[in-house]
Amino acid sequence: MSSLSFSPRIPVIDANVCVGNHYTEPSPCQSQAQLIDEMGYHGIDRAVIYHAQTEEISPTDGNRLLDDWLDEGGRLIPQWSVTPTTDSLTQIQAMHHEGRVRSVRLHNTQSAGLPFRSWGYDNLLSWLSEAGIPLWIPLMDVDPHDLITTLQAYPDLKTVLLGAHYTHALVIRPMLDSLANASLELSRYEPIGEVESLKRQFGASRLIYGSWYPRYAMGPILFYLHHTDLNEDELHMVCAGNVERILGI
Amino acid sequence: MIDGIRVIDFHGHVGRWERFGMNDNPKLMLHAMDAVGIDVSCLFHIFHPDGTTGNDLAAQFIAQHPDRFVGFAYVSPTMPERMLPELERAIDELHFRAIKLYPPYTSWPFNQTPWHPIYTFADERGLTIIFHTDHLENNRPRYLEDIAPMYPDANFVAGHSGNVPEARAEAIAAVQKYPNVYLETCSTYRMPGVIEELVEKGGKDRVLFGSDVPLMDPRPQIGKIITARISDEAKRLALGGNAERLLGI
Repeated sequence: MSSLSFSPRIPVIDANVCVGNHYTEPSPCQSQAQLIDEMGYHGIDRAVIYHAQTEEISPTDGNRLLDDWLDEGGRLIPQWSVTPTTDSLTQIQAMHHEGRVRSVRLHNTQSAGLPFRSWGYDNLLSWLSEAGIPLWIPLMDVDPHDLITTLQAYPDLKTVLLGAHYTHALVIRPMLDSLANASLELSRYEPIGEVESLKRQFGASRLIYGSWYPRYAMGPILFYLHHTDLNEDELHMVCAGNVERILGI
Repeated sequence: MIDGIRVIDFHGHVGRWERFGMNDNPKLMLHAMDAVGIDVSCLFHIFHPDGTTGNDLAAQFIAQHPDRFVGFAYVSPTMPERMLPELERAIDELHFRAIKLYPPYTSWPFNQTPWHPIYTFADERGLTIIFHTDHLENNRPRYLEDIAPMYPDANFVAGHSGNVPEARAEAIAAVQKYPNVYLETCSTYRMPGVIEELVEKGGKDRVLFGSDVPLMDPRPQIGKIITARISDEAKRLALGGNAERLLGI
């Protein structure tokens, strides 16, 4: 049952938050303090953040801008974006040598003009797999066949599949079946009963709370997860534990 | 019930749409409704242009749980000779409480003449019509400004409140101009601040909670209302008070 107000009853990490201004859409949070205030309103303790400029403009420049958003308290966990160019990989590898890389994010492979196939991404994926660095990938930006066949060649690579929509309803199960190291982030996956159904089929360890703020509000999916059949241990896994395990934090 | 309010979901479907995971299994729907305190869901079947086929299927579905589901009649100007007889049957014999119209399945923007016999019918009977609205040509909320003043005894609801920002602005503008226009909240576009904008600009007595169940799980959709920065009074009205008034239930 519900009430007119809501606060999560467990510690929460939002696994999918964008900071900074997208080139067409200023962010509602113009500062780190505003973002932390927004997280506080929704009872979110920590967030994995990437910079909007990395999406369609420049992963390397956007990563530099992300530095300005990091807080001393460690509530904002940086996620560096990458694209398969020498400069981008060099930047990420240098940060990795400094111990700063917990995860990386790949943006729209189709609009970037390089299909997500091993002949275009092998250097990157091989290195991530060897280095044990997990990869976040937005589902709407990649062909499902490419995603599955390419990632199957890197069975040790941990991935988090982002932004599944009801238009992905038929592809989600084959994808999770085919990719044992993939987890599903839930920011916009709303077909009825799917959280419970996917939990029964794949286990709560494969599901991750993310909001994709500010594309979507932080609260609704978190509220949803608190009103499912997930038991307390499963809820903790989905809202924080799984991403802690994947990031090694 | 939430906090003593009978919660009414103003936007739901009967029918299956497997490619999108839409499954009108009443057990699934009631489970999700019960988990968050939704008492009543308003349902319509939009997949049959004759109206009769879908309305009968909706009536059969609703008859399984008449205390939990309310029917809305569906007709289409693609079969104009069927519209008025079917509306009379659905309202008088099936006891449906309102009308759902779906312009994307027709060739006409909903301010054009093929639709007007439906509006005359609703006006004569003081009924409410909910439209699918978005940014596409047939579905623009700005058409509400054409029809609302012509049929002052009918009420018109912008389903999804236009979905995207430019169409949402049209829906709000129509609400601000005419007292018989309302805003309904279901949408996969769950941007931060949307519910706040609807309440602030449209007025708390003009916002209706809807979920699109079972295309979407109602839990994240009601979570939009619960986690919004609006007053408890605005939440109560959106969750049930406004719908009770419109539907007379």
